[in-house]
Amino acid sequence: MWIATSVLAVLLLFALFPAFFAGLFGNGDPRACDLAHSAEGPAPGHPFGYDLQGCDIWANSVYGAQSSITVGFLATAIALGIALTLGTLSGLGGRVVDWIVQRVTEVFLGFPFLLAAIVVLNTLGARNVWTVSLVLGVFGWPTMARLMRASVRSVRHSEYVLAARTMGLRLPRIIKRYVLPNAIQPVFVLATISIGMVIVAESTLTYLGIGLSSPAISWGLQIAAGSRIFQTAPHVLVLPSVMLALTVLSVVAIGEELRSAFDPRERR
Amino acid sequence: MRKPRNRLGAGLGAVVVGVIALAGCSSADEEEATPTTEAAQEPVRFAVETPDHLIPGNHFASYNIVEALWAPLVQLDENGDVSFLAAESVESDDAVTWTVTLRDGWTFHNGDPVTAQDYVDTWNYAAYAPNAWVNAGQLANIVGYDETSPLEGEPTAETLSGLTVVDDLTFTVELENPDRQYPLQLTIGQTALYPLPSEAFDDLEAFEADPIGNGPFKASSSWTPDAPLETVAYEDYAGPEPTVDAITFVPYIDTTVAYTDALAGEVDIVGIAAAQAQQARTDFPDHLYELDAPGVDFLGFNIEDPRFSDIRVRQAISMAIDREAINDAVFGGSQIPATSLTSPSMPGDPAGICGEYCEFDPEAAKALLDEAGGFEGTMEILFVANWGQEDLFEAIANQIRQNLGIEDVVPTPAADWAAFTDQVMSGDVNGPFRARWGALYPSQQNTLQAVYTAEGEGNFGAGGYSEPEVDALIAEANAAETAEASYEGYTAVQERILEDFPTIPLFGNRYLYVTSERIAGLHTVSGAPDLTQIQLAS
Repeated sequence: MWIATSVLAVLLLFALFPAFFAGLFGNGDPRACDLAHSAEGPAPGHPFGYDLQGCDIWANSVYGAQSSITVGFLATAIALGIALTLGTLSGLGGRVVDWIVQRVTEVFLGFPFLLAAIVVLNTLGARNVWTVSLVLGVFGWPTMARLMRASVRSVRHSEYVLAARTMGLRLPRIIKRYVLPNAIQPVFVLATISIGMVIVAESTLTYLGIGLSSPAISWGLQIAAGSRIFQTAPHVLVLPSVMLALTVLSVVAIGEELRSAFDPRERR
Repeated sequence: MRKPRNRLGAGLGAVVVGVIALAGCSSADEEEATPTTEAAQEPVRFAVETPDHLIPGNHFASYNIVEALWAPLVQLDENGDVSFLAAESVESDDAVTWTVTLRDGWTFHNGDPVTAQDYVDTWNYAAYAPNAWVNAGQLANIVGYDETSPLEGEPTAETLSGLTVVDDLTFTVELENPDRQYPLQLTIGQTALYPLPSEAFDDLEAFEADPIGNGPFKASSSWTPDAPLETVAYEDYAGPEPTVDAITFVPYIDTTVAYTDALAGEVDIVGIAAAQAQQARTDFPDHLYELDAPGVDFLGFNIEDPRFSDIRVRQAISMAIDREAINDAVFGGSQIPATSLTSPSMPGDPAGICGEYCEFDPEAAKALLDEAGGFEGTMEILFVANWGQEDLFEAIANQIRQNLGIEDVVPTPAADWAAFTDQVMSGDVNGPFRARWGALYPSQQNTLQAVYTAEGEGNFGAGGYSEPEVDALIAEANAAETAEASYEGYTAVQERILEDFPTIPLFGNRYLYVTSERIAGLHTVSGAPDLTQIQLAS
């Protein structure tokens, strides 16, 4: 647990202060590229070598953390927001509301995620951190919404909610004070895990040429560029791939840890 | 902006069609021959982009196949001089009326002699608009084309009035505008000028399934787009005998699969993208062929855009691009940094005419840009996504950004070719955009006319540039007394165009091929391998 947390902490620091960490070896500008060094191996000041464009791989990978992690958190936040709203609505609302929300969820669940993302991103034109996060968020909420609904249902008939009702409290207050805090836990855990999934999805889309595009600096772009010359210069691919894997691994590990911490059956 | 002849398709998933048995191409009686008879040669397997049609006048993507089944009237010798193949001579005194004399003894694969009438009938059919043959434009300068294919309205004639059959082996061609380069138009790339036998026009669909040409190879299997097409050397071919007995054209949707198959020795010849050169040098150290091609890569501008209308801005951008370094890093050194508007392999190409403006000089570039008032805002470099050009445009953008000190230079991919052309045609571009012209015949005329005149097919690549003085100079060069004089004329044309600097020349092309161990040598005609000159390893 502490390993995962510290790895994630370091990566978050990368994302927050890229200039400092990128400059650790003396060449912190990810956009200072010299084709004369194209795809060269490690050199003094450039511990991980250069990519095809002659840019420093370390600096680029550090800066890449920013967009990947931003997309991860932003998209998950969007998805979580939608999921909480619709899940609560469906869990507390009447039959009709519940039925409608459920069907909408099913429709979104039925969409092939990648296909939907491809279509939308291709039509949007502009592809930056915001649009990619938006698309990933908008198509990533259904599972969370279902979990939220189930969770809300399980608390809606509990004594403290009934008590609050009997006291004549207004619905918004009941939701805020009594329902959400007690129902949100499992959804939070799922959201943590889904951060990792979103980061992978972003890289996948970017690799396919429909996610982020230059001049954004992202691991997906670096992996795509590295894979094109993998056979002649394999080192270009290594660092961004390792960073991506570490991020996803640590986020998922933390999520798992949270899950088992909150799971009464595993509590001792 | 024509697709390069070997542009690699971007699709995924190959239909590697069930392998046909590599039937020996010897005739049956050879099997009974004595054991001393040399074993039948295995056909050479040539990976091609999935062919669309096999009618030479009506295809986009079948160059390699139709160039094997047919033979052109004119070819170029190794020095780039005109020599004749199916024609004995192509002559004119005034560059307007050309007399084409065919060689005697040429036959179609069905045994019929090739006559002047066959040429004239085929050209007439191609030029008649209702037949909708896509390569009809290759006949556009012949008198009467305006009547058979008017820009607007119905055609008023069925045949080209400029074509006259003199006798079985002679016909004359009258041109709208004088053109000293006309014999070069009759070379291998202008496939609409190949002759079809008269029986073809009875049923073109059936003809396409079993095509009959006059070329070095004849089809020995029926053709369907997804299946390999087998050809064998035509025994009565009147041109120089091909060095191999048989070629099988294997269609691929995805050339990366063909590349792997070549590594495994499953196919023998595969065209690859320039960006794969580096890797191919490792994978095929002795079997990578870089063939001089008549194509050029350049950057176009919307010259109406006030940010780019100052010639100094365009010149500064050109000088800020290190073509050598990009060529080495991205293309493995396989392309040729441009110093003129045409490919260096073009006869008479005025190498170096672009001068200092095509040479990398970051200080001078920066100074020139400052003199022009600098550049404000974002510069987007538009190209086509998924054509394997991401690295190229990334590199160009990096150089412009670093060397000119412009903050935001963004390589911007358009989703596909259609989206790209839409954006360019409507002028909806925020900077230089990708442009290229692959000439169909090795004459500067083709590139200059297509790109830098208003009527040219590739004019949008130059941002719609046109200039009456350029038009006049081209017409003058076309009408020159001799081929040499016309080269001087085209040099003047290039000089005049470069005074306006509407485009940034980037690279002269080489088309790249990798081959299996079986192949020991490839020669080229206009960037494509000469299929009659394939050398087999002994």
